[in-house]
Amino acid sequence: MRTQYIARQREAHGRKAVAVLPVHYPKEILTALDLLAVELWGPPGAPRGEAAGRLQTYVCSLVRNALAFLAAGKADAVEGVLFPHTCDSIQGLATLATDFGGWGKRAFVFQHPRGPPRPSSRAFVEAEMRSLAAELEPFAGRALEPARLAAAIRLHREVDEARAALLDGRARLPMDDVALYALLRRGEWLWPGDHLAELRAARATLREGPVQPGVPLLVTGYVPEPAGLLQTLGAAGAYVAGDDYAAVGRRVVRGGPERPGDPWAELVERYWAAPPCSTRSADQGQRMRYLSGLLERSGARGVVVHVLKFCEPELFDVPAIRAAFAAKGVPLLYLEGELEAELAGQTVTRIEAFVEMLGTAGRAA
Amino acid sequence: MSAAVAVGIDAGSTTCKAVAVDAGGAIIARRLAAADPRIEAQTERMLAELAAEVGAGLPVGATGYGRKRVRAARTLTEITCHARGAYAHMRGAGLLIDMGGQDTKVIRIGPAGDVVDFAMNDKCAAGTGRFLEVILGRLHVPLAEVAERVARAESAVPVSSTCTVFAESEVISLVAEGQPLEGIVKGLHQSLASRVGALARAGAIDVDVFMSGGVALNAAMVAALQEAMGRPVKVLPDPQLVGALGAALSVRPA
Amino acid sequence: MILRRLQYEMAGRVVGPVVLALEEWQRRQRRRGKKPKESPLGPPLECTRKLKELMSLHYLQGRYADGAVPVAWVTSGFPVEILRPLGFHVVYPENHAAMCGVVRMVTRLSDAVEKEGYSRDLCSYARTDLGSVATGETPAGRLPRPDLLACCTNICQTVLYWYRALAERLKVPLVLVDTPFVYGESKPHHLAYVRDQLAELVEAAERVAGRKVDPAELSEATRLAKEGTRLWAACLATGKHRPAPWTGIDGFFHMAPIVALRGTEECNAYYRILRDELEDRARRGIGGIREERHRLLWDNLPIWFATREISTLLAERGFNFVCTSYTNAWAEAGMRTDPADPIGSAAVAYTHIILNQDLRNRMGILSRLAREYQADGAVLHSDRSCKPYSIGQVDLKERLARELGIRVLLLEADHNDPRAYASEQGENRLTAFMESFG
Repeated sequence: MRTQYIARQREAHGRKAVAVLPVHYPKEILTALDLLAVELWGPPGAPRGEAAGRLQTYVCSLVRNALAFLAAGKADAVEGVLFPHTCDSIQGLATLATDFGGWGKRAFVFQHPRGPPRPSSRAFVEAEMRSLAAELEPFAGRALEPARLAAAIRLHREVDEARAALLDGRARLPMDDVALYALLRRGEWLWPGDHLAELRAARATLREGPVQPGVPLLVTGYVPEPAGLLQTLGAAGAYVAGDDYAAVGRRVVRGGPERPGDPWAELVERYWAAPPCSTRSADQGQRMRYLSGLLERSGARGVVVHVLKFCEPELFDVPAIRAAFAAKGVPLLYLEGELEAELAGQTVTRIEAFVEMLGTAGRAA
Repeated sequence: MSAAVAVGIDAGSTTCKAVAVDAGGAIIARRLAAADPRIEAQTERMLAELAAEVGAGLPVGATGYGRKRVRAARTLTEITCHARGAYAHMRGAGLLIDMGGQDTKVIRIGPAGDVVDFAMNDKCAAGTGRFLEVILGRLHVPLAEVAERVARAESAVPVSSTCTVFAESEVISLVAEGQPLEGIVKGLHQSLASRVGALARAGAIDVDVFMSGGVALNAAMVAALQEAMGRPVKVLPDPQLVGALGAALSVRPA
Repeated sequence: MILRRLQYEMAGRVVGPVVLALEEWQRRQRRRGKKPKESPLGPPLECTRKLKELMSLHYLQGRYADGAVPVAWVTSGFPVEILRPLGFHVVYPENHAAMCGVVRMVTRLSDAVEKEGYSRDLCSYARTDLGSVATGETPAGRLPRPDLLACCTNICQTVLYWYRALAERLKVPLVLVDTPFVYGESKPHHLAYVRDQLAELVEAAERVAGRKVDPAELSEATRLAKEGTRLWAACLATGKHRPAPWTGIDGFFHMAPIVALRGTEECNAYYRILRDELEDRARRGIGGIREERHRLLWDNLPIWFATREISTLLAERGFNFVCTSYTNAWAEAGMRTDPADPIGSAAVAYTHIILNQDLRNRMGILSRLAREYQADGAVLHSDRSCKPYSIGQVDLKERLARELGIRVLLLEADHNDPRAYASEQGENRLTAFMESFG
């Protein structure tokens, strides 16, 4: 983990660190309470350590690796863990690690409402956010005053705006995918203010016109790991023009007017305004429309569906995604990964073959 | 013999193949050998042998698992190369099923010979030639006898396991129970064909179907595949050399 | 009406495959090719015939339900009492999927939707059901089209994705009761959320049914459901006798009414008969297996396509499942309902079912069952396509073994997809496990 940075945040700013499981959670609340969120994404590769065998092999590798990581004490630099309840596997992890061993310090849960927004779930989300805040206050050692929450929301809004500028302006950004995603993913553990500075520096390099020479792709999936995937795409002559990764593009909240005076209402609004994500049981029709729009805006010539093996929320959307793009005649490549450390040779071949296919599309052999 | 204009090499994981083609795209020299893990050395040897036969200094196209280790003018995936090699024998659009030792590919080829779509088997031996190789080996049924034995079978004995290792256990049980060997061998072929059929999304095919790869030399497998696909399957000439041919065609001077 | 009666007779033959499956299991069918030998199982339950009739009638009624009464497809953990006063004919896709599993239709049905892109790693109930809808194939004659899909996430999150796919295919409204998972204790605003959703459910169901819920009828349905739960619990409790008067597999089959007919008098009438027969057998020392030597606990869903094989394999060595966490779940859920406050109590009851509570609670239930039923071993079915039930089993295995001093086997399989179960290896493991008892 980024132990040194975490330690510095503690010493210099008095910020406690909280590990957070993927993907969606009301980070603004943590920021408002001066808590540093450090996301737990693996690490990649097969789970190691004593706890490696405590979860069956048919559980997604994100959760298996997270348990092994926590149980091996690798997250000891943080003082609490937040489990957003997004799926059955994280649901199980949250009780397994805390009740049966693996994580002995504070644990918090955020329950996402399921299904389409309706009066009951709108009321619930606010109550759940307030409840989480109330639990975090004594842990953080400070109260959550509305002014702090408003300031945190403003900061996160700016972060999202900068991310959106980079993602939407991808074709004009003189960075390769490996560098861009490394930058974007630093936001998973940097203090938002620090992350914003880095985003702004990258934003300043945006050109007037397109600079990316490769084949533009729309990539939808859970997390852009292993990094080898992005390298392979680049080497094959393609780049991610449209990002629908749950870890990246689906967390960028765009637009919405500022509403001074009621930060809780604004927080709830931001919650519902995030791009549709399978892990929050978004309406499928809405999600397909969103993906269509992303395809058009990005100019992508093909779609890569990068699914994390055993991830139910993602897997259930695959038939609709296939059908939606088949109807438009857009070529689609389906890849299934397991957060492996290295890409399988066969996966490299599939990616290269797909890009070759798109590169010669419309031309004879 | 007409002059060679290009060389193609398919450094597969089971076999390494190389061909030289003439200006018309016909194969005029060929090499095929079991794959040596020391890929660079083997491919250098093969290319040297071909050069001795048809002349040196020709452009080389490389494909297959070991393609990046070959000194080639152009490196393309097996998908692209198999499509090109197959298209040379096709009259328009078609579906190519390539079944190799460790790999099965289904490639949809457009009317102009372009790759429209492709699918590859899951990272598992059960959808590949290896499945048959392992189990037939265990049953001591030589590949040369397979087609004849399957033809003699009255009915297929179903083999349900989706894993090669478990299928092996299952087959041993069936033999112990006294099930006819011919029926079991037929069942094995049907099992493999049905998996390949699923990969090809059989039922949604309205074009001609072709087959390449070492497994295409097994007439029983071709028959089983025809049944699974519900339409005729035409085995391409020199089925094992289709990839190398495509690689050569990719560097053939215009 | 006369036409419907005639169709009833004919439909009896169509539902045949299911009936055959139950009959086969009831007759303790011999293995193919082996010489017939005495069955290791005890005399079959008399009332199984009534069970068949009851469930056949339910599916038969279903054939003619759409157009006649409002039809709802619901998840097994759904507060179905709320739909009863509105006259809904209720179908349980899970129950139907299990039936497909028993008659071995799953491979074909799953293949149909795998072609569309559904992964084989997804819940085998979902693949079976979506496959049945996609192909129109069912062993139940014909399932009535739903007017309403009713989904409760207390058993898992997958049901929502599954039902959403159904809603899309069938173009019918979906109501969701989302029950936040209970870590430790449920919070007041969690229960308020569930109550709010139940109110939304009532509104939506009333719209579909074209009438209002009568509070008195709702209380009555709640009372019936609670009574049914109590009766089912009484049936299960007979398993505490030595020998247990029925097998764990019997329990899985006889569970159908409390899941699919909960809140009806038919359900309760059946369980009275079953309870009486079981108590009678217990008094007379008649066991579910002929020679009970060891008593086992089963955790997780059954392996529907291998129930007969496993039951026989175990019975031959004198092993019986005397208690299961799955059948027990329906003896607990309804106990917290209250006819005087149907909605409020349903919110509590359905939030606190076993699968919606943490592992500490799970461990408590398993160890209590093992103790009360005097189990000297346990089999935890590590169900490949059921994460919520399977996560934690590795730890549960070790804890049960340690705390209760019993032998525990973790058995890898799947509830409905035979392709995920290597039967040679599975039976080998069970045999080795049994041999370890000495």
